[in-house]
Amino acid sequence: MVNWAQVLFNSAVTGSLYLIGAVGLTLTYGLSGFPNFAYAEFMTLGSYMGYLMARQLGLDFSFAFIAAFLASGILGALAYRGVFRFLAERGANKIHLMIGSIALGFIIRHIIGDIWGWPAVTFGISWPARNIGPLRITNLWLGLILTALVLAVIMHLLLTRTKTGKAIRGISSNPELALASGINIERVTLVTWAGGAALAGIAGLFRGAIAATSPLLGWAIILPVFAVTILGGIGSFYGALAAAFIVGLAENIGVVALTQLGLSTEYRMAIAFIILIVTLIARPQGLAKAFRRT
Amino acid sequence: MNLGLVVYSLDIIVFIGIFAIVALSLNLEYGFTGLGNFGKVAFFLAGAYTYAIVMERTGIPFYLALIMAMLVSAGIGFLVSLPALRLREDYLAIVTLAIGEVLRLIVKTEDSIAHGVWGITVPPAIHWSGMSVLEMRMVNIGLVYFCLILCFILVQLMTKSPYGRILRAVREDEVAAEALGKNRVQYKAQIFMLGSALAGLGGGLYAQYMRFIDPSGFMPMVTFTVWIMVIVGGPANNWGVLLGAVLVILFERGARIIKDYLLLPIDPINLQYILFGVLVIFLLAYRPHGLLKERQLETKAIEGVQQWKNRSSE
Repeated sequence: MVNWAQVLFNSAVTGSLYLIGAVGLTLTYGLSGFPNFAYAEFMTLGSYMGYLMARQLGLDFSFAFIAAFLASGILGALAYRGVFRFLAERGANKIHLMIGSIALGFIIRHIIGDIWGWPAVTFGISWPARNIGPLRITNLWLGLILTALVLAVIMHLLLTRTKTGKAIRGISSNPELALASGINIERVTLVTWAGGAALAGIAGLFRGAIAATSPLLGWAIILPVFAVTILGGIGSFYGALAAAFIVGLAENIGVVALTQLGLSTEYRMAIAFIILIVTLIARPQGLAKAFRRT
Repeated sequence: MNLGLVVYSLDIIVFIGIFAIVALSLNLEYGFTGLGNFGKVAFFLAGAYTYAIVMERTGIPFYLALIMAMLVSAGIGFLVSLPALRLREDYLAIVTLAIGEVLRLIVKTEDSIAHGVWGITVPPAIHWSGMSVLEMRMVNIGLVYFCLILCFILVQLMTKSPYGRILRAVREDEVAAEALGKNRVQYKAQIFMLGSALAGLGGGLYAQYMRFIDPSGFMPMVTFTVWIMVIVGGPANNWGVLLGAVLVILFERGARIIKDYLLLPIDPINLQYILFGVLVIFLLAYRPHGLLKERQLETKAIEGVQQWKNRSSE
C-alpha cells in the first residue's frame, strides 16, 4: 500500500531542493543568455562547506548554512567577473561561453576533489525522524521546505518591489531597452550571479545533509535542475516555482511507479530527462507565458 | 629500447587514433556546422556497447559489428536531433549533455543489457593463437588507422565540396542559408547523424581495443576531452583536430607518468584537468580559432574574385 501523504510530502521536499537550486540558474540564464554548466559545482561547493563546518570543525548546522551561502556566492561573483564577462568582452559566442562554463566546472570540481578527496562523505549530523499522523519527517526536511518558502516570499518581494528585482526582469525581457532606461546592467547581473550561486550553495548543502556529498554531487542533480529551468521557462522565477514542484511530484510518483513496475529506482533521474524532452517538443518556451510577470 | 616502452608507446598511438576519429566527428558538427554537441560520450558509449553486445551474443565478423555500432549510434543521433535541432543552440547542448547521462544510467542499471557495473568483456577483432602483446597492438594500430584515414578522407572531401560550403553557410548565418533555399534543419540532422555514426565507430574501436568496458569509462570527461582536442587544434580544420588529438593524449599520458616520478602537493590527474580547464578558457579568450586556423575556401568563384580584386588594386 502506497502512503500517498508521504509521497506528497516527499515531493514538497524534492521540489524545495530543486527550487532553491534552480532560481539562480534560471535568472542568470535569462540575463546572460547561456546555461552555466559550472552551476553544478556551485552546489558542490556549498555541500563541502557543510562538511567543513559540521564535520571537520564540529560547528552547528547554522554555521554551515552561512558558510555555504557566502562561499558559493563569492564563487559565483568571481566566476562571472573572472571568466564569463572576460570571455564575453573578448567576443565569445554562446557555444564558447557554454564550453567555458564546462571548463570552469572541471576546474572547480577537481580542486574540490583534490582538497577533500573523491569518496563520498557525510556530515555526521543525525536528524531523528518523527511520526506525525501518517507522515515520517525530520527537522532537516522541514527546514528545507521552510527555506524554500522564505525564499519564494523574498524573491517575490524582490522582483516586484525593489529596483534591482525590477531591473532583473527588465534586462531579461529586453536588454537594450533596459540599458536605454539607465539600468546598470553590469551591477544587476553581478548581483544576480552572486545571489543565484549562493542559493545553489544552499541547495547543495541540503542535498549533502540529506544523503552524502562527493565532488560529483552537483553533477548528479544538475539534470532535474535544468529540467526545472526549461519547464519553468528560462529567466522566469514564477515558472521555476511551479516547475520545481511539478518535477518533484513527477519524481516521487515516478519512484512509486518504478517500484510497482519492478524497475530500478535509479531511473528517477531519467524522469527529469523525460520532462526536459517533452517540454522542448511541446512547449519550448516553458510555463513562463502563464506567468507573465517575469 | 626496452619492450615495455615500445608497447606503451603503441598504446598511446592507438588511443590517439581512436580519439582522433571522435574529434573529427565533433569537428564536423561543431567546427563546420556550428552544432554544440555536449554529449559526445553518449554516441561513443552507444557505439562501444553495441559492438560489445553484438560480439558477445552473435558470431558475426567484427567489421559488421563495427557497422552496426555506427548505425545504432546514428539512430540515437537522429532521435536526439528531433526535439533539439529546431530550437536554439543552448537547448541542443542541454539535451545532448542529458542523453549522455541517461544512456550511462541505463547501461549501468540494466544488468541484462551488458552486466551493468560489472562491465562486459569484448573479444578481440583479429586474433590468432600465440599472439604477443606487441603483435596485438600492431594489429590494432592497423585497424584503427585504416578507419581513421577513411574518416579523414570522408570528412575532408565532404567539407571541401559544395555540401561543405552549405554547412558553413548554415553555421555562419542560418537565416541567409534558409533564404537561399537550404533547409537548415535537414542539413543539421544529416550532419548530426553522420557525426554520431563516426563517434560510434570510435566507440566500437575503443571497445574492441580495451577488451573490457564498463559504465565508469563513459563519464562526461570523455566529451570534455574531445572538445579540448577540437578547440586546441582548430575548429573547422581537420589537420588541426588531428594535431589536437595528439597533443591532448600526450598531455594526458604525460600527467600519468609524472605521477610516478614527481612529488607534487596536488594529485597530477586532478592538476591535469584543472590545467585543461584553464587552457580551454584562455584559448577561448585569446585564440578561439585554435592552433591551425580554418582554411579559406578554394573555389573557382573565389579565385575569380581574388584576380579581380588584384587587378582593381593595381
